[in-house]
Amino acid sequence: MLHWVVLATSWNILSGYSGYFSFGHGAFYGAGVYTAAVLAGTFGIPFLWTLPAAALVAALLGVALGAVVFRVRRVRGELFALLTLAVTFVLATIVQNTPIDGGPGIYLSAVPVPALAPTAAGTFYLMALALAVVTLVLARAIATSRLGLALFAIHDDEDAAEVMGVPTYACKLAAFGVSCALAGLAGAIQALFVSYVTAGSTFNITVPLTVVLMSVLGGTRHFAGPALGALLITVLLYASTAADHAVAGKAITGVILVAAVLFMPNGILGRIRRKSPRDTRDTTPTPAATPEADSAIHSVRANRGAPLLVLRGLRKSFRGVHALDGVDIDVRDGEILGVLGPNGSGKSTLINVVSGHYAPDAGSVRFAGVELAGISAHRIARAGIARTYQVPRPFAHLALRDNVALTAMFGAARRDRVQANAEAQRWLAFTGLSARSAMLPGALNLHQTKFLELARALAAKPRLLLLDEVLSGLTPAEIDDAVALIARIRERGTTIVLVEHVMRVVTALSDRVVVLDQGRVLAEGFVSEVMARDDVAEAYLGVAHA
Amino acid sequence: MRIGRIARQVVALCTLSVMAGAPLAQNAQAPIRVGSTLALTGPLAATSLVHKVVGEIYVEQLNQRGGLLGRKVEWIVKDDQSKPDLARTLYEQLVTSDKVDLLMGPYATGAILSAMGVAQRYHKVLVHHTFGIPSMANYDMQFPAWSLGPDPATTVPNTVFDALAASPAPPKTIAIVTSKFPSVHFMSLGAREVAKKRGLQEVLFLEWDFGNLDYGPIAARIKDAKPDFLWVGALGLEGNQLLDAMHKIDYSPKEHFYMYPAPGPMSKSPLANNALSMTMFEEHAPFTNAPGAAEFIKLYHERAAKAGIPDTSVEVQAAASYSAWQILEAGVKGAGSLDDKAIAAYLKKNGADTIQGHLRFDGPHNYGDDLMRVKQVQDGHWVTVYPKAYAAPGATLRVQ
Amino acid sequence: MTLPSATLLAQSALSGIFIGSLYGLLGLGLSLSWGLLHVINLAHFAFAFLAAYLCYQLASVGGVDPLLTLVLIVPLFAALGIAVQWLLARFSLSPLNSLLATFGLTAIVEAGIQGYWTADFRKLESVYAGEKLRIGGLFVPIPELITLALAVALSFGIYAAMRHTRLGRALRALAEDAPIAAAFGINAQAHALAIAGVSGALAGIAGVCLALSFTLTPSSIYAWVGVVFAAVMLGGLGSALGPLFAGAAIGVSEAVTMAVASPSWAPIVSFTLLIALLLLRPGRT
Repeated sequence: MLHWVVLATSWNILSGYSGYFSFGHGAFYGAGVYTAAVLAGTFGIPFLWTLPAAALVAALLGVALGAVVFRVRRVRGELFALLTLAVTFVLATIVQNTPIDGGPGIYLSAVPVPALAPTAAGTFYLMALALAVVTLVLARAIATSRLGLALFAIHDDEDAAEVMGVPTYACKLAAFGVSCALAGLAGAIQALFVSYVTAGSTFNITVPLTVVLMSVLGGTRHFAGPALGALLITVLLYASTAADHAVAGKAITGVILVAAVLFMPNGILGRIRRKSPRDTRDTTPTPAATPEADSAIHSVRANRGAPLLVLRGLRKSFRGVHALDGVDIDVRDGEILGVLGPNGSGKSTLINVVSGHYAPDAGSVRFAGVELAGISAHRIARAGIARTYQVPRPFAHLALRDNVALTAMFGAARRDRVQANAEAQRWLAFTGLSARSAMLPGALNLHQTKFLELARALAAKPRLLLLDEVLSGLTPAEIDDAVALIARIRERGTTIVLVEHVMRVVTALSDRVVVLDQGRVLAEGFVSEVMARDDVAEAYLGVAHA
Repeated sequence: MRIGRIARQVVALCTLSVMAGAPLAQNAQAPIRVGSTLALTGPLAATSLVHKVVGEIYVEQLNQRGGLLGRKVEWIVKDDQSKPDLARTLYEQLVTSDKVDLLMGPYATGAILSAMGVAQRYHKVLVHHTFGIPSMANYDMQFPAWSLGPDPATTVPNTVFDALAASPAPPKTIAIVTSKFPSVHFMSLGAREVAKKRGLQEVLFLEWDFGNLDYGPIAARIKDAKPDFLWVGALGLEGNQLLDAMHKIDYSPKEHFYMYPAPGPMSKSPLANNALSMTMFEEHAPFTNAPGAAEFIKLYHERAAKAGIPDTSVEVQAAASYSAWQILEAGVKGAGSLDDKAIAAYLKKNGADTIQGHLRFDGPHNYGDDLMRVKQVQDGHWVTVYPKAYAAPGATLRVQ
Repeated sequence: MTLPSATLLAQSALSGIFIGSLYGLLGLGLSLSWGLLHVINLAHFAFAFLAAYLCYQLASVGGVDPLLTLVLIVPLFAALGIAVQWLLARFSLSPLNSLLATFGLTAIVEAGIQGYWTADFRKLESVYAGEKLRIGGLFVPIPELITLALAVALSFGIYAAMRHTRLGRALRALAEDAPIAAAFGINAQAHALAIAGVSGALAGIAGVCLALSFTLTPSSIYAWVGVVFAAVMLGGLGSALGPLFAGAAIGVSEAVTMAVASPSWAPIVSFTLLIALLLLRPGRT
């Protein structure tokens, strides 16, 4: 029973938190089973020594798999599930057909059970309990740590998380490693407990399926959810072992599962949490300190006017369409640079390439003297670039506070979790959202969601802020609000690239503008100069006036 | 609900004895509890049902005879869902929380190994009916009813080849195809060795994973290899699926042997004509001459039909199951107590009489004589054809 | 080791195509409900087996031609599919929760099958069972041919329907972006029920095919899950042709491995192929 707690909880660390549903937990569990079985059964190594080996083998397997799989952006969701399932079958076939097992299974009854308790049963109980406790503590620690928040963000929107500075690759790998190591340990203990190991009973779809069911039943967003699910399902299992009703018991188990999932779609803990009164932190007063008082940022002003971001020969094409076709732009420190252009001129692609969402096909992106082209998005974020999305991409299952704290932790500022929370409150106050800090983004209107995007970008303490049509879709009054806000941001010394359709905003805010057309820079200069050029009027304004 | 009724009777008896002011007698009247698990659901459920029916028959007969040591016998069965790890946990429960007096083995090899581990830990006697890999039975208080002797990997193929050698057309070439399921795989490897020693030419050797779905290519390769004799190391359904697959490409092997086929469906299948298998008991003389056999067969037909088992004839599984209970009874009666050490000592020394014949437990891994016979599907029925002394009246091994 | 003969290879590949077509047929309904309804319907397998048992019962006890049982089974299982979808939709479950709920349903159906038919093996001895065609040196068993024909006809039929009918286009629009489609006046609920009906009917048809060629036990429901899931995911969720081609690819690659190497290594070839495809295949972001 306890080993299911361990398996379900460990599975949840990667799959529940980050949404990467693995159907390969059986493989890592099996790796642990067979490591322990081979070392203890075949080579006679004392059982306790096989435990670290089992954890290590399982973790290495997981990390090696992750190192390949997580690099491929496409392999998410069901493809990840499929891949891990396939790995299970491959591993089973290898074990089955090589001297690791070879077919007959491995018998462990000759392996002495370590004397941790007076009876062997006590020892198993003790080992399983210890592992379960360790697993739960770890799961809880991760859930409340930077890693946990990062994983939850990956769950909601992995690309956005990466752009916010979350090293998604490393985070997933770490979670996968921990998850697999725990599964391996559970497997090792189980191997000795059952004491007869066959490939067929180890590498099958039952383990991953049961683990998923337990976690979903208990609730995947809470560290204790899978454990609760595991307890419930095993209790059901034992309740239906009475021989006279074996078949009926099976049917009843099915009925209970169906009923449970229909009436508690977020899992048991999900349901309980939803019913409990709202978080009290909701009413926490915002810290007195205002962001304007932050002096660290003002020092940047000394360099005002020097180029902060230098783009040279930037190219990016999608299936033959040149979205960026050799773009050269300088962004000077402390300025607001407006980027204009008709639809499809490459404005959004520009932001996506600079923020690392896409890697450029060619060209260079130098930021504060450092080449950023081709490096991963989270490192770009850490270098001091933050962005907003034209269509806001908040992390839907994270409270506003956590949405903002995430960038404070993983962006250029790199705060610890406590500082980040304080920071988050400050920026929510700055954008007028503090009263809603414990809500989920789904509760906000578009205007507020855009401000959330801003707060999130600002919490990273960026030197350069890329604003991708923050104003589109807002009412005129809301636009005025936003314009004032952007002005205040610039007051604080942040350099801003403003991609915008609303002409009056660009003219009001920008120091200089760049006009893009078909992936090329059509014009660059002060607003009044650029506006006066005929080709600009034709390419962009002409169209607008027509 | 028979057990429920017995329980109520027992409760009534206990109440009576308490009222009579005889607290000491109470213990003597309490039933002896035998605990076991069976795979009542999951992939092994088909055969487990046979063992459940047999166990119920035996306990009923035993109680009609007055039970054990003057006490009624109660059988506690739990469903291990065809999972060895669950079997392990349930046996722990049976010993520690249900506090059963005696243990009976589960079905099949994997679960029995789990149960054996528990028995060993708590020093309990374990009698089991269907344990296929004697070399893995390393506990000195376990007693097998699956009487293939200590080294079936050698003796089983030898008996099969002896039977074939005595047939009108002894084979010269052999194809061995086998599932990697542990309890049949090691036999097939043994068959390979034995065939080599006996000078048969191996034209094909194939292994597949248990749970394989596509037998077409395997059948095609057998057809291609054209063996005189086909050894199929298959468990349950696999044998039927392979037969189907061979039939689909219009091939029927000249002589073919199946390790542990699903008894009913195979004898009923027209494709299986002349298929060989191993047996230790069939429903014909001389097996039916064993004491108690006739009555058991009659009862089994009745109960099996009631339980919805399509093939109600008594063959290896049912007979082994019945034998296991006979061994347990013999042990307890012989020892005159429920003391596990005494029971084990008695059985080791004296063996037990079962419907399969007399079983000894003094060989390696507590296995005794090899009682294996060879049977064949003839006209929709399994009949024993070898050795002659056990052949059904008038039956001989047929070849195409 | 001598080189395997051409007949052997061809016969094995044929066997792979046949089993692959069954993977595809089972996968088709699964793929539709997964891709278009976002319901991972594990009970699809249970329904297929229930249909198979029903077909067995009608054909071997009732003496009905197994193919005629489709007349009863198709509407029955379509209704069953609709009923399940109606229930799931009422509670608007996430895909994973649907997996959980349908797993529960599978357990119920499995228990029901075992309760009525017992766990013993059941094999339908139909008029088709022994029939086969002979083409050159190859044998083509009729039950498998029926399965293949049904799988191909249904896959292409549904593919064509999705492309060329109003209903099909509406369904694809719904799958792409439900709110927008709803804004265009497409009734999501009615369409979802229609898909579920089709998917249920497909489970029924797959079940009849299972009964034609396989020996049935309640627990063999699970034997198909892994490989059919693989075929569905490889073929692309919601795709009508994908499962068939993916299923055939898996079936043939395994069968050919069995023919030239050891059958026990077969899974490694198909699944390594699958992993490699997933990791290396360009496009489809």
